[in-house]
Amino acid sequence: MANTIIGSSIVIDGEITGEEDLVIQGTVKGKIQLKESLYVEESGSVEADIETQNVDISGQVTGNITASDKVELKSQCRMVGDIKAPRILIADGASFKGNVDMDV
Amino acid sequence: MAEPACVIGNGIQVRGNLSGSGDLVVEGRVEGHVSLEDHMTVEESGTVVADVETKELTINGQMSGNVDASDRVAILQTAVVTGDIKAPRVVIEDGARFRGSIEMEVPLPADI
Repeated sequence: MANTIIGSSIVIDGEITGEEDLVIQGTVKGKIQLKESLYVEESGSVEADIETQNVDISGQVTGNITASDKVELKSQCRMVGDIKAPRILIADGASFKGNVDMDV
Repeated sequence: MAEPACVIGNGIQVRGNLSGSGDLVVEGRVEGHVSLEDHMTVEESGTVVADVETKELTINGQMSGNVDASDRVAILQTAVVTGDIKAPRVVIEDGARFRGSIEMEVPLPADI
């Protein structure tokens, strides 16, 4: 379980950087830069450009994602933006609008 | 103790505005402005460079900025704090380091 949790009642407007997993249940606007995994849970809402290793989205994300490993869009998620990652998974039921770049 | 609503872990830096209800625990670094309706705790490993508005604030780590608390501020043994504090109740433990002003909103006698 990740150490850092942005709870559902919390709003962050700005920049988050770091070296460990981050779980978002609340709202984050701005920019996220991580060396590990980002989890956007069902209640989570992100309006930010994201640069990280793994992203796991069950909530809402607006912004561009650059991942060094994997991006996973779960079935309830809503995502608008471009994704660049070597591995991208989109589950049945997910809504997504944007470009996908797998560096083929 | 109930699970806090928000934890900023050791390896995480947040820069910008942070607001909301629910408790916040800072083990990493927060810069900018914090506005909360509940309890904020700065752990020993935590660093906060921000103006903070909250109900209750407990500081174990490093903090620099002005604090406006509606209930209570506690500066504990391991804390290093600079800034101005405004709160009805302020506690400074033995061993804590603090520089700044404290305003407790004490009703002064009329003749002063």
